[in-house]
Order: sequence, then C-alpha cells, then structure tokens
Amino acid sequence: MKILVFIIFILIIIFFSIPFLWLYLSAFDKEASAFIKLPNFTLSNFIEAFKEYNFTRYLINSSFVATITMLLTVLIVAISAYSISRIKWRYKNSFLYSLLLLHSIPLSTTMVPIYGIMRTLHLRNSYLGLILVYTAMQLPFLIWLMKGFFDTIPEELEEASWIDGCTSLKALFKVILPISLPGILVVSALSFLGAWGESMLILILVDSEKMKTVPLVFYEAIRTVGGYMEVRYELVSSFAILFQIPVVILFILSRKLLATSIVPGVER
Amino acid sequence: MCKYSKLIPIIFFFIFLIINSFAKPITIKVWYPDELGVKPKYVDKAAEDFRKAFPDVNLEVTRYKIPSGDFLTKLLLAIDAKEAPDVFHVGGTLMPEFVEAGYIRPLTPYVVKWEDWQYYPKSIKDAVRYKGHYYTIPYGLDVRWLYYRKDIFAKAGLPPDWKPKGWDDILNTAQRIKNSVPNVIPFVIYAGVAGSGGTVNHGYIPLLYGTKAVAYDVKSGKYVIDTSAIKKVLEFYKKAFIDLKLVPQEVLTLPKPWTTMREKLGAGELAILFEGGWVYGGWVTKYGLENVEKTVGYTLMPSEKGAPYFTVGGLGTCWYISSQSKNPQLAWEFIKRFNTREIVAKINIEDPHPVARMDSAEIPEFKAIKYLYDCTQILKQAKFEPMAPGISKFGNRVQLMTGRVASGEMSVDSALQKFIEEMKSDFGDVIIK
Amino acid sequence: MKRSQFLILGLLPAILLMIFLFVLPSLWGIYSSFTNMALLGKEAANFQFLGFENYIKLFKDSAFYTSFFNTIYFVIGSALIGQFLLGLIIALLIDYAERRKIPGRGIVYGIVLLAWINPTLIAGFQWSAMYDYYYGTLNTFLKFLGLPKINWLGSIPMLSVIVANIWRGTAFTMLIWLSALKTIPVELYEAGKIDGANAFNRFRYITVPMLRDIITVNLIQITMATMGAFLLIWAITSGGPGLKTTTLSLFAYRTAFESYRLGYGSAIAVIMLLINLFFGIIYIRLFRRR
Repeated sequence: MKILVFIIFILIIIFFSIPFLWLYLSAFDKEASAFIKLPNFTLSNFIEAFKEYNFTRYLINSSFVATITMLLTVLIVAISAYSISRIKWRYKNSFLYSLLLLHSIPLSTTMVPIYGIMRTLHLRNSYLGLILVYTAMQLPFLIWLMKGFFDTIPEELEEASWIDGCTSLKALFKVILPISLPGILVVSALSFLGAWGESMLILILVDSEKMKTVPLVFYEAIRTVGGYMEVRYELVSSFAILFQIPVVILFILSRKLLATSIVPGVER
Repeated sequence: MCKYSKLIPIIFFFIFLIINSFAKPITIKVWYPDELGVKPKYVDKAAEDFRKAFPDVNLEVTRYKIPSGDFLTKLLLAIDAKEAPDVFHVGGTLMPEFVEAGYIRPLTPYVVKWEDWQYYPKSIKDAVRYKGHYYTIPYGLDVRWLYYRKDIFAKAGLPPDWKPKGWDDILNTAQRIKNSVPNVIPFVIYAGVAGSGGTVNHGYIPLLYGTKAVAYDVKSGKYVIDTSAIKKVLEFYKKAFIDLKLVPQEVLTLPKPWTTMREKLGAGELAILFEGGWVYGGWVTKYGLENVEKTVGYTLMPSEKGAPYFTVGGLGTCWYISSQSKNPQLAWEFIKRFNTREIVAKINIEDPHPVARMDSAEIPEFKAIKYLYDCTQILKQAKFEPMAPGISKFGNRVQLMTGRVASGEMSVDSALQKFIEEMKSDFGDVIIK
Repeated sequence: MKRSQFLILGLLPAILLMIFLFVLPSLWGIYSSFTNMALLGKEAANFQFLGFENYIKLFKDSAFYTSFFNTIYFVIGSALIGQFLLGLIIALLIDYAERRKIPGRGIVYGIVLLAWINPTLIAGFQWSAMYDYYYGTLNTFLKFLGLPKINWLGSIPMLSVIVANIWRGTAFTMLIWLSALKTIPVELYEAGKIDGANAFNRFRYITVPMLRDIITVNLIQITMATMGAFLLIWAITSGGPGLKTTTLSLFAYRTAFESYRLGYGSAIAVIMLLINLFFGIIYIRLFRRR
C-alpha cells in the first residue's frame, strides 16, 4: 500500500513538472522558440530584461500594488466578515451569495463602466486606483470565505472578553483574529496573488510607463506584424521566471503556517 | 489730453499681449501602438517637422507598447469617454466601422488640395473612399502572392517561372509535387478559424475575386452572396483539403498556422503557399536576400481559368483624424508630414511593404529592392479587400464556412447554406445571387 | 459605541468599495444586455433599447449553443472531475503519507502549488509548448518513444484544455482539503474502524458530513472560477479549432473585444451568471444539513 502511494506520488510529480521543462529550458536560451530544444546556456535574457525592459520598475510596481492590496484587503475583509458573521439577518446568506454571483460577470462586460468610473475619479494611472479596484474585485469571495471561518468561532468567546471589559473592536483583535490566523493567511495569499497576476484590468487602467506592472511587460516581448503575432519566447520565459520568484519565496516562507491549518478552526 | 491719446493704442497692445500669453496653447494629441517595431523614429521625424512648422502648437505623441488589438480597445474606450486623441493609427479594414460610428473625419477637403495626392494610384484612392469621402492615407500596404519553392519545383521537373493557368493548374502542380518529392508539404491555403485573417484575406477573398464575384455592394450597403461563385471556391477547398489531400489537416488546428507555414516554406519543407507580401521580408532577414531570390518564387493570383491575374491589396495600418478633434486642420498637417515621399519609402524599406505613393517607389534605395518594387507596381491593378462595416463578423462566418468544408465536417452545399443563414442572422439584409 | 453600530460601521468600507467598483459596473453590464450598445459601427453613435432581443438572438445563434455545451463539458471535466477529485485524492494521499511517513509528500505539495501560483499567462505559453504538433514537449517524447505524434489541439482540443486547467487549478482544492482533514478528530476515525467501516465508508460517513460547508464553498468557488476561466484557454487555442474550445467566457470576450458589440456580449455574461446560479443551487441542496 505504501509503495502504491509512493508510485502515485511520482506520477503526480511528473505530471505537474513537465510543463516547467519548457519554461526553464527556454529562459536560459537565447534562441528559444515555442518548443523545447536544448539550450545554449546563457543568462543574457535575464540581463536584457533588466537593462532593456526596465524590469526593476515593473517589479517594484507589482510588489507595491500587490502588497498594499493584500494589506487593505485583509483589513477590510477581517472587519466586514466579522460584522456579517455576527449580524443577525434572515437574508444574510442569500445576499452574500448574490454578491458572489455578480462576480461571475466577466470583465469584457464591466470594462466600460469601470473605465468610466476610474476616469471620472482621476484614478487611472495611479497606485491608488489599481489597489482600490483589485481590492473591490476580490471582496465578495474573500468576505464570504472569511465569514465561514468566523461562523465557526462561537460568540461565547467574545462575550467572555466583554465581561472582561473589552470593547467589540478590541475583542476582535485580541481574541478572534489570533484564532482565525489561518483564514487571514489564506485571504492574504489569495489577495496578493490576485493583484500580482492581474493582467486584464491593467490594460485599460494604466498607460504610463512609470505605472506599469509586470503582466504588461509581457506584451513588449510580442510584436504584431501584418496582423499576426510574433513572440520572443526567450524573453517571455525569462520574464516569467522573474515574475514567479517573489511569489515562490513568499510561499516558501509562509509554508508552515499555510499548510497546517487553513480552515475553520475548532476550539482549542 | 493729446499726450495720453497716443498711449491708448500702446496700452491696448500690451493688454492684448498679456491676454494672449494666458491663452492656452493648442494641443494636438497623436496616439499609436508599436511594441518592437520601426515606426517610432519616423513618427518622431514627422513630429519634428510639424513642430518646426507650428512652434506655437503643443504636439503630444504617445506610443503605446501594446498589441494593436489592445490599443484598439483603449482607443475605443477613450473615444467613448470623449477623450479621443486628434490623430490615431489603426488598421485600414476598420475604416467603415469607424465611419458608421461617427468617429472619424473625412480627409477629402485636405487631400484634394494636396499636391502629393497625384502620386497615389486610382486603385488605392478608390480603396480609401467610403460613401463618397476619403478617410485615410495608407503608406505601407500588403499584397498577396502565390509563393513557391523553385528548388522543389526543379526536383519535380517543373519550370522555375510559374504562371498557373488557373485553379486546376495549382492543384495539378501540387499533386505532381506530392507524387515526386517526398517529405514536403505540397500546398497550403488557410481555412477555418485557425487561419483567422489569413483565411479570409489570403485564401477566400483571392479565390472569390478570381471568379469575378464581389463580396460587398457599396451602393446598397449590403453583403453579396454569389452562390455559384462561392460554390466554386468551396469546391477548390474541398479538392485541396479532402479529395486530393494536398493541404495537411493541421492547418485547420495549429494555433498560429501562418507562423508555422511561413517557416516551413522558408526552410524548404513546403512547396506552394498563398500568403501576404510581408512574409518575404522575414525570409530575407533569416536566409539572406540572395538565397531567397534563388529559391523562392512569387506569382500573381490566377483567376479560376487563368487570366486576368491580380493581387488582393490590404491597406495596412494608417492614420485617421478623430471627429472629436478641435483642430482638424492641424491634425491633417501632422498626417501630411508623416506621408512624405521619403518617410513612406524609408519606413517600408525597414519594415518591408509595398508603398502607396508611386514616387516613393522610385527612390533608389527602394527601387533597388526588386521584390518590393514589383509589389508596388502591381498595386496599380490590385483589387482591395471589401470596405464594409461588420467586416469582422463577415470574416468570422467565412472562416467557419471554409473550415467546415476543409475539415470534411460539411458538404459544400450544407456549408454554403449555413453561411447564408449565419450572414442573414448577422446582417439582416443580404443580396443573394 | 453600541455593538450593532460597530458591526454596521465595520461593513461600511467594504460596501462603499464594492458598490462603486463592482456592483454598479455589474448592474450596468446587465442593463446593457438589453440594448445594442457597441463601441464600433453605427450602434456606437446611438444605441437603442432592445428588450429581450439580444437573448432571442442568442438562442438562435449556433455559436451560443456550441459555447454553452463546451462550457458544461469544461466545468464538469475540469472543475468537478479534475480539480475537485484530483485535489481531494492528492490531499487524502498526502494526509495518509504524513501518518505513515511515506516520502515525497513535500515535493508533491510543492509542485502542485507551484502550478497554481504560476501566472495564467505563463501557464498558457507552457501548455502551448506542451501541445504543439510539430515540436511540442509531449510529441517530442512520443517521437522519442517511437510513437506517432498526436494532434492534441486538433483532434482532442477540449480534453487538452481541460487537462491544462486541471494542472492549473488543483492546488486550491488540495489546500482546502488538507487543512479541512486536520480538523476532524482522529478519534472519530478510530471509532469508525472499530465499528468495521472500511476506508471508503469512513470517508463517506465521517469525513463528508463534517466538512459539508467546506465542500459546498469549494465546489461553488471552483465552478465559478472555471466558468470564468478565460486567459488559459485563450492562450492555448484562442477558442479553436473552429469553436471547439470556445466556452461562454471566450464567446463573451470575442463579442466584446473583437466586434465590440457590448450589448450582445453582456447578454452572454448574464447567461453565465444564471448558469452559476443553477450550479450553486444544486450544490447547496446537495450538501444541506439534514
């Protein structure tokens, strides 16, 4: 039985790693194409990314936006989800679910009004604009998720702390949050990733060179000639690896916390 | 009193100067997309010329390093928000849509007074006229050729100067290659959705025009479905893809068949290819001019039975004046300075395309490139892609129709039937012959 | 401050943000589905209110039916069978491996996760490289083994795209299940074993009931995400060949971004919303507390 599981593990590892083969082979190859071939090992693609394509600026922008989005989202989600969890209202769940459903309307439909609103508020080409939009987009699902966590924490816990003299706010921070840390971590991870990898809204919200984030730079490795697209694959894969590294590092750092308890905590 | 009366005009003069200095300068905004291309230096040169001529005007040129599709989205959103630039750069095929939407201004009043307009051949002037007005000036166009590998032809015992005597000749030649030269794809013509623009412009339209039919009637503003002509076109597809299997089925499913097939012809693995003019430049860059001239031949599209030979022209991308521009005359001045004899020639040498101005073609460096020069000359007899609104919907239906026949999914008659249904649903009124 | 005031105040920032940047645009979108708004062509100059005409047109459009069924296949194949089951199995196996000290579980966890945090655009390029007919990774291996090449994107496009999406999304379910499993007290399983229940029954009668809500949340989330999945499919096949891998989200995109017919595209979006609603109701009913 143990051997069977081990074999299955090997198969799973193979399945999940094959696509990375191309990525790593072509990032280090100056003449990469869309297919795999043995590379002439070189670091020039990475160097080009930083020198020619201003990659540092994009990385900084992406990191800043993603981090602030994460912090803002976590803050708002924590408070909102707590409130929703504790409010007594018959139609609470249906209301939340409808918000969630609205989320399934794709960007192709909402891009025109979002563009209009952002332009009116003069929030295009700004960090604030991006952060607000990314946060707003993720709120419905993350609040729902977090509410689920809070629901499993019985109100007696807070009531106990009130007797001890805490206000609602203090109770939230001192008692509830520590227990729901796993949930907070999930929300952080999801909101960071959501903002980090977002590549569609950015097109209509950012024009200026200074404000670009990494997803936009991929377009610069593509040339449209006579209506057809030509891609510089060696750049694309090196950009991709540079793009992945910060996220991978963050995940490794938080691995322990993420793995052990992600879900509604039970009384401890 | 007399002393002061002389001061009054001077005072007025100074007041006038002060007011003028607070008046905002006129701003002209120019937007265009270009990621890795060659346009920037020419746009900048035109901008420089403009600024010299109009020092009081603030010319803002913005280059967007994004693909033209995404640029189009941005542009349309800006137009919708009433923040359009004065001048922008998009594909020629979109012209009717832009006119119908009321987004662009006619250039007619300007071009008729322009001395250089005489250098543009009638075929091109007709191509940029829509509902009686000229809306843009193309500079680097595209033509279509029937490319073939002279070396593979030699191996099959065929002469290097090929002039197909009609569609059947194309198929027979390909068949002969299939029989005598192994490991080589005999023939490729794009079909189906995978071929995207190529299906319509490099395959379907040249064939359709070869039957002397048209796709769109400008007078009535309706699409034309010439059933007997289209049947002939579909029969050709069927023979090429299904009956004789001269075109491999992957052409229908490759994600970017044009890249793959273009590379194959360049590498000598494909014998005959219907493609756009611009791919020749790619081969020259990769294999060197001498090599390519020796191995790759190009010939005009034949009509169904041979003559008349023709090519199908595409307008490429060009500059337009927005209808929201408050200074159309100045906008025109910019466009005029981009479309000079020198710029048009030089930009099309660097990014090889035939030129719209015949005088640009005579510039020595351009004339020296035989291939480009040839392309430019045939532009005089080029038929152009239909100038019609809704062209992308039409293109999509054509892609579906050809794909269905080429994959064997439907018979010629059913595919045509379905096309008629779909066109009716998309456009309401169509002319059926 | 009274507690109820506090609670409502806490909701304010979220409500404000969501209304302006999320609810209003979505409602506008729904409204536009009843018009023929467009960004190009004569409708751009002035649009008309059309009532249900867009929807009627949709129901007559064969492309709609194709994308509708493609979406159903895609969601069932990728989300339900693929990501959910695979994520579940992997989580169960890792959990088992932890208890029995089988090596390799860390690597499995890591690599599955890596596929998930990988940006979608990149995943698109990676899988295009995998499936390419002439020189792709998979066909190169086949050639190496002396087997004939398979035209992945030509003959089995939907399956290929489903597999790519499973690769991409499994980690989420795996994460959820991994932690969820830890919350179930071991004693319950011990008791089950004593009662003679085998592994499958233990799963069915102990695990599932305890994790009802989690399962529902998970299913709803991955169904929605999969239905809206756009970039991955677009990057690999652009919806082709023909319309074979065009799901509703791709269909909506093409309508909105290629022909710029916003009204029609919004109608498609509303249909997507209704399908999500439909699935959601099924899940909630299925896992409701009795």
